[in-house]
Amino acid sequence: MHRTLRSLLGLSLALALFAGLSACGSSSTGSTTGGTTGGTATVLMGTPPDSLDPGLGATTQSYEATWITYTGLVTYAHASGEAGTKLIPGLAESLPSVSSDGKTYTFTLRKGLVYSNGAPVKASDFAYTIQRAIKLGWGDKELLTENIAGGEAFDKGKSSSISGIQTDDATGRITVKLVAPYGPFLNVLAFPAAGLVPSGTAMKSLTNSPPPGVGPYEIASVVPNKSFALTRNPHFSSSTIPGVPAGHVDLNVKIVSNNQSEAEQVLDNTADVFDYNDSIPPTLISQVESQASGRYAKEPTVSGEYFFLNTKAKPFDNPLARQAVNYAIDKRALQRLDSGMLDPGCFFLPVGMPGHPTSPCPYGDPNAAPNLAKAKELVRQSGLAGTPVTVWGGSRAPHKEFVDYYASVLNAIGFKASEKIVADAQYYQTVGNLSTNPQTGWLSFSQDFPNPIDFYQLLDAKSILPTENHNLSQVDDPHIQSEIAALGPVPSSQLSSVVGRWQALDQYNAQKAYLAPFGYDEVPKFFSDRIDFGAAVFHPVYGNDWSTLQLK
Amino acid sequence: MRAVAHDKVALAFGALFVAIVVLCLFAPVYAQDVAHTGPDDNHITETVIVDGKQVDVVSPQGVPIGPTWKGRFLLGADSNGRDVAVRLLYGGRNSLEIAAIATLITMVLAVLLGTLAGYLRGFADGVLSRLFDLVWAYPAVLLGVALGVALAVGGLNLGLFTLHSGSLLLPAFVIGIVFFPYVAKPLRAHALSLREREFVDAARVMGSSPLRIMVGEILPNLTSTIIVFVPLIVANAILLEAGLSYLGAGVQDPNPSWGTMIADGIRLIPGAIHLVLVPGVMLVLTVLSVNVFADGVRDALDPKAIVRGRF
Repeated sequence: MHRTLRSLLGLSLALALFAGLSACGSSSTGSTTGGTTGGTATVLMGTPPDSLDPGLGATTQSYEATWITYTGLVTYAHASGEAGTKLIPGLAESLPSVSSDGKTYTFTLRKGLVYSNGAPVKASDFAYTIQRAIKLGWGDKELLTENIAGGEAFDKGKSSSISGIQTDDATGRITVKLVAPYGPFLNVLAFPAAGLVPSGTAMKSLTNSPPPGVGPYEIASVVPNKSFALTRNPHFSSSTIPGVPAGHVDLNVKIVSNNQSEAEQVLDNTADVFDYNDSIPPTLISQVESQASGRYAKEPTVSGEYFFLNTKAKPFDNPLARQAVNYAIDKRALQRLDSGMLDPGCFFLPVGMPGHPTSPCPYGDPNAAPNLAKAKELVRQSGLAGTPVTVWGGSRAPHKEFVDYYASVLNAIGFKASEKIVADAQYYQTVGNLSTNPQTGWLSFSQDFPNPIDFYQLLDAKSILPTENHNLSQVDDPHIQSEIAALGPVPSSQLSSVVGRWQALDQYNAQKAYLAPFGYDEVPKFFSDRIDFGAAVFHPVYGNDWSTLQLK
Repeated sequence: MRAVAHDKVALAFGALFVAIVVLCLFAPVYAQDVAHTGPDDNHITETVIVDGKQVDVVSPQGVPIGPTWKGRFLLGADSNGRDVAVRLLYGGRNSLEIAAIATLITMVLAVLLGTLAGYLRGFADGVLSRLFDLVWAYPAVLLGVALGVALAVGGLNLGLFTLHSGSLLLPAFVIGIVFFPYVAKPLRAHALSLREREFVDAARVMGSSPLRIMVGEILPNLTSTIIVFVPLIVANAILLEAGLSYLGAGVQDPNPSWGTMIADGIRLIPGAIHLVLVPGVMLVLTVLSVNVFADGVRDALDPKAIVRGRF
């Protein structure tokens, strides 16, 4: 009995020691989920990231790599669905304390953190990281300069540091003061651009040799526009930041611009991950569904597809004309044009975004035939029949096909439509120039962060700008403005308390027909047979979570 | 022309070209009475009966129906559920219209400037020849794409002369400009040799003005060269228009053209290959027929310059 007890005690000690060692982060045993660790997976990307430098990258392709390489003070839970929108402490010990006026955020840095090069992380690195993102011109830097006190002065070169950021390396304390309360400010700090890099990192683009960061991976072997690698960070384990898993496999990322070839490689198991930003060619979808049913799924995204309707120009300055468009569009047709990867809908806020209305659509069921007769009647009533309308659109499929369809519908209800197709890379720059004054056209928007205020910048009168105009419908509605002013400062963590008001606002917007929404995007989660499909997380903000990929 | 009449191959291809032109001219009749749809009408969510079964015009995955070999969707549908046969004929009308206008622009510019440069010589020849060289120096397709893209969004506004961005005249204008040096240079060389001939000297001695000599003496002797160039330029204009439209710098949507039809169909290869094959075959047949006919005309007008082996 005694011997047995001693054996059991010995076994317990051995198990505890093994568990402790695992937690300390050997790269070969760093899994939190207990899955297989080791090996290399090949990830395909249709479009190269705009930059792999966290201070510059602002596309989904960039974020896919950088959010698991550069962790900020806060980050998102590595989970699918709504759970993935939850903010968790990143490099900070806990979520910050926020002052009663909502303008001051105080964080304390975790102790013992090191970068992927082994250098210790300091509180002052945060201030340097934010300054660097502003100086380098990160695509969403306005979120920093417009919200952090002293951000604009720093951006304009009027000060050498950002007055609103105070740090103390000795205590790890970081204080951020805002100009005014901004509800989604923590979401802003969760962007990879706010993921810490060491003080002294060169104030220039390091996209070909990205700086060290804190996260499960480090970026290496960058061949511009061709490939790069993500190798597991030897200084990071699953216990470094609770809730942020250490990676399971090293990743070779290859750029393959041909969707057909990309899909065939994953179908044939010669590559492991299909880029969710790309569409599987329609002619291959049936084959993928039948041959790869266990490793292919449609994943909903929080993004919407719309036609904007310029309320300051004929004919859509007339509400009847805008209503006619909303009655006439057959969302089922647009779903087919998008290879079935579209969930027909009629509201501005997509499914999955807090505030998405649950009420019926004001201009007919999006899953039923449109009411063309009503639309024609409205155009006739408006006295605008025969008005020339130029429809703007991007050149890539299915954007151009959307516009072809839309133009034919406008012609069918009485307008005289023509098209202007612009290369996607220049599209928003072109239609966002107020001198272009586009009447109507295609518009797509994906969430930057899970807060409806992110979407409502597209209908905010303050977004009507001479260039880079985000409010393409040029909506200036006092009710929308007052609701944005009231709801914008509500922190993302308290959104549930104002969901009803967001829903009411979105119903009001739908009724006004400021846009013609037609659906919410779905994307392919498509892997090779080698990957454990069930274990891989599809993150609601950043798509395929590469840190959860593991080989079977 | 009697020599052309004896060249049966040239005649056959000439007849083929005429048949294509006639077919395209009858596009509205076909659309209304046979296909019962316009070139831009979409039928995405509709169905058609094929072999007694109801079939989606466009499947839920976005794959359009192939040829039905019946009145509706004879050659299938495109991704927007539009009738490919109808768009093929309307696209042909657009391509031929653009080619005809572009050829007219090329020939007018080339004859005018080529004759002037060749007859006047000296400073005028120097300036005009450098202009020909300047345009010639750019590869035709690149120049066409550059001009086409630049004009596709904003159109062309030269004060009194305005072309909006969707106008078919815009690609015709671009193509006409791109090709004129290819004709102007040989015409200049021909005019240069003609001005030294005795009949030109005689006209000059008789007191004819330079304009009168160019119109009355030089131009008539350039006619055979001009006639040889016309079909060649037509064929090249059709090809360049298709190329420009394929690249988005020619015919603008929703107007059909063989080039835009091929561009639209590329992403659906191999499942809906008819989208590329049908306009592609039509393009090849048209250009081939014009080229072979043009060779026949050239052989007939200049029997010494036979460079093409006979069938």
